[in-house]
Amino acid sequence: VNTYLDGRREPVRRLSRFVVFGLIVVLGVGTLTARLFYLQIANGTQYAALSTANRTVLEPIPAPRGLIYDRNGRLLVTNIPTFSVKIRPSDLPNSQRDEVVTRLAALLKKDAADINATIDGNPGSAFDLVRVAQDVDQATANLISEAGFDLPGVQVAVEARREYTDGPMFSQILGYTGPVSAEQLPDLRADGYQPDDLIGKMGVEKTYETELRGTYGSQSVERDATGRRTQVLQTVDQAKPGDSLTLTIDTKVQDEAETALRWAMKKIGMTRGVVIAMNPQTGEILAMVSLPTYDNNLFSRGISAKDFQKLLDNEDKPLLNHATQAHYAPGSTYKLVAGTGGLADKKISSSTRVTTKGYLTLGGTKFYEWNRRGWGPCDIYCGFGHSSDTFFYQVAGMLGADRLGYWAEQYGFGAPTGVDLPGEVSGIVPTNAWKEETLGAPMFGGETYQAGIGQGYDAVTPLQLINAYAALANGGTVYEPQVVREITGPDGDIVRPFEPKVLHKMKVKQSVLRTMRNAARNTVLLRHTYNLVDLPIKIAGKSGTAEFGQRDAKGRLPYSSWFVGFTPADPVHGSFDDADSKLVVLAFAYDSRTVGNAATEIVKYFFQLHYDIKKDYRLPELLKRGNFYTND
Amino acid sequence: MGVVRAEPTRVTDWAARPVGAAWRSFDIQLTVYATLLVAIGLAMAYTNSVESGSTPLEAGTTFSRGLMWAGIAAVTFVLATLFDYHWLRTLSWPVYAFQLGLLALTLAIGDGVGGSARWIAIGPFTFQFSELAKILMIIVLANYLASRESRLDSLRTILGACVLVGPPLILVMLQPDLGTSMVFGAILAGMLWMSGASLRWLAVLAAGVIAMIPIAWTYILRDYQKERLTSFLAADKDLQGAGYQLYQSQIAIGSGGWMGKGLTNGTQSQGDFLPVQTTDFVFAILAEELGFIGAMVLFGLVTLLLWRVLIAGWRSRDPFGTMFAAGLASMILFQLVVNVGMVMGIMPITGIPLPFVTHGGASLVSMAIGLGILQSINIRQTRAEW
Repeated sequence: VNTYLDGRREPVRRLSRFVVFGLIVVLGVGTLTARLFYLQIANGTQYAALSTANRTVLEPIPAPRGLIYDRNGRLLVTNIPTFSVKIRPSDLPNSQRDEVVTRLAALLKKDAADINATIDGNPGSAFDLVRVAQDVDQATANLISEAGFDLPGVQVAVEARREYTDGPMFSQILGYTGPVSAEQLPDLRADGYQPDDLIGKMGVEKTYETELRGTYGSQSVERDATGRRTQVLQTVDQAKPGDSLTLTIDTKVQDEAETALRWAMKKIGMTRGVVIAMNPQTGEILAMVSLPTYDNNLFSRGISAKDFQKLLDNEDKPLLNHATQAHYAPGSTYKLVAGTGGLADKKISSSTRVTTKGYLTLGGTKFYEWNRRGWGPCDIYCGFGHSSDTFFYQVAGMLGADRLGYWAEQYGFGAPTGVDLPGEVSGIVPTNAWKEETLGAPMFGGETYQAGIGQGYDAVTPLQLINAYAALANGGTVYEPQVVREITGPDGDIVRPFEPKVLHKMKVKQSVLRTMRNAARNTVLLRHTYNLVDLPIKIAGKSGTAEFGQRDAKGRLPYSSWFVGFTPADPVHGSFDDADSKLVVLAFAYDSRTVGNAATEIVKYFFQLHYDIKKDYRLPELLKRGNFYTND
Repeated sequence: MGVVRAEPTRVTDWAARPVGAAWRSFDIQLTVYATLLVAIGLAMAYTNSVESGSTPLEAGTTFSRGLMWAGIAAVTFVLATLFDYHWLRTLSWPVYAFQLGLLALTLAIGDGVGGSARWIAIGPFTFQFSELAKILMIIVLANYLASRESRLDSLRTILGACVLVGPPLILVMLQPDLGTSMVFGAILAGMLWMSGASLRWLAVLAAGVIAMIPIAWTYILRDYQKERLTSFLAADKDLQGAGYQLYQSQIAIGSGGWMGKGLTNGTQSQGDFLPVQTTDFVFAILAEELGFIGAMVLFGLVTLLLWRVLIAGWRSRDPFGTMFAAGLASMILFQLVVNVGMVMGIMPITGIPLPFVTHGGASLVSMAIGLGILQSINIRQTRAEW
């Protein structure tokens, strides 16, 4: 045992333990060196590339969205630069989120709940920007961009926003743009859509999204880890602006239609109505008004949850285009189908007289004439002109449900018209096959009677109905209605010129349609439509009253009124023998319950405005409420 | 105190015997290596300050704070060298009480990220007492093992050491600071090994610890700790989540190549792709900017330093000195391997600083105290060499 000179034993130091410890040091440092060699030397090139890729990204350059004009070149929507506030959730610490959102809500004068909902509904990942506010004024934008430190993850961006010149007037046609939704994003990624991108959500903004969007460019950008752009390195692809649309809509006609509809709605206290004007020779829609409507600027500015809920809660569904996205019983306007079918299938001729009376009995049920008297023996001019129910019960009975359905389809009912607006519904044409499929039984005789006069199972969209009358007016061509006339490229070239699209030609003789046009003229001549005949222009048309819903305490059903009318090419001297009409107009007054036909008054007022007729033929007393149309 | 009472008590054992300092035994190499390591740390602080866009010498930058702490550490080192380490043996129990006090205080009033308690604010500065606690732990353990030198083969000694480490380890675990508690474990293991404790009992102890792992995993570790511990195994599966940092740090290291991108030229750090780059992940920036060569210099310096620490332990005729050197070497080695291994993706993510280089006053000052005590041991061995 070693001892020190002062007599103490030398401490136990085991060399082996020191050596092992030294080996562990060598092993540890050796392992680190090996790993370092693997990363830096063996795979250095690969990591260097990743490091470069980290910094440079291809950023999209948004293309200016295409503009939209009316048929006369009036600008209906512009792109205006606005400030948007965006959040990158990954840069917003969870612990600070409530505080940041509350502060942001106060600055933006928005609801904190809205902002939270937007962040949570972010379609991208936490590393993608979420737009929480649009159309922020400059002072607020400055405030927010300077408060960067207090608002981690919040950025201010300049973006183009859609400004709809006339707001509500064209909302149903133009629609609006809005943020890409989480459900849409996966499919859209391949087309270059970004998580914070805007996309057409309704109207032609949606139908023509591809054309309007243009082609986004790209630039290679150096950025830091938070995604902040440190510098733009180069533009890889220039953005190609979107194409512009020229609508078939004429602002003047649209205004006339809206003025006429609003006048009647106010007079009656009615809450829902549609007016459409079309050129029957081409299928161009000149005006399409669906009320109530909404301001599409609300959406392009970023609608609040409260405002959106208010629109959703409105019973009259302002977000719906009632001209195409809802269907209703067509009432007597549908007698066009039975009349045309009866003539074409030779069940009746233009001179055949059918006995009209107070009611018909079928299987023990009474089917009443609307005036409970009838007009005695009646030909098609009389039956259509007086809108005789018993006349058309019998004609429908002669045709049977399937032939009646066939002629409905010939007029374009039962299928979407194909109009270039989203969400069109197809309506219902009841046939035996249809009823078997939906209700499991064939059509009963009484149901066919009802179908013949536009009640029962019949359901049409206002656009289908006007399109049917357009086919009558133009001599049997069913066109696909269009709201977009031309598409123009960014350099002004016409990319797609206007071309009428024929859906099909009706398999019917011209003489049959001529008879039906003159029968429609007879409706006016017989003063079934009151003083419409007194106007200094020639109008042919058909009114309709359609019951719907539940009976009230007195057993009365609410009802809507329809009128579809058209004029010859020369409205003063022309004749309905010719199929040259350039204007067909439809009015639909939902739940009108007026003593007279409200829709006829609307169309009358429209014609007064459209043809600049100075004398006022309107009969406001007809617009008083009164349930004259009782039925048992 | 029972442990001390087991010794045949002599008055002279209760007080340090004054031993004249032999300055020629002062280890200049050790000091030089440590100084160079601190210089590397300052270089990294400098590059961080430049990259974050500030003037390095301005008050409050990482670099100016680094300079200040380096100054404090230098003074501390000198004071610790001058201090006769024998007093530490005398004061071992008060030191232990002081250590527990610091850790308890941290737990009571400390601040930290996400509800943890790690730092205590002293004026404008924050100080992580658990760093100091590691050195204090080494002192306490060294004294205990030295005093039981003749009974190192017994299970009681080993268990006694474990019992001593237990309370501070639990207090640190409660902060919660899993990394530092693991350092305590490493210190204990290294010192028991070097003390010459029975291999048989050490094996039993190791087996016991391994058996404890599943229990700790189920009942003690919190979910985020488990996630950190395992995320390095599948870092490439979760690049946007827990794996992001590892992925970015490996890109930083890998893109450095042989020579690196040059000080202050790291693109990963400038772009802020790498979180906590001044603290636990500082090695990633070092490897990115100084390359393989720079990292080799760092490894070389740490290895040389460890060699000098072990030499000091070997030369010490006092078992306390040997044990202290063993503890210090274990701590430095463990922290180097775990920190650098973590940054390179071969070790779990734990908040263990890289000695000398990680920016943090507590770590640097504690290291200065440790090396100062080692120098004090170096110059106070009166072994006759003639």
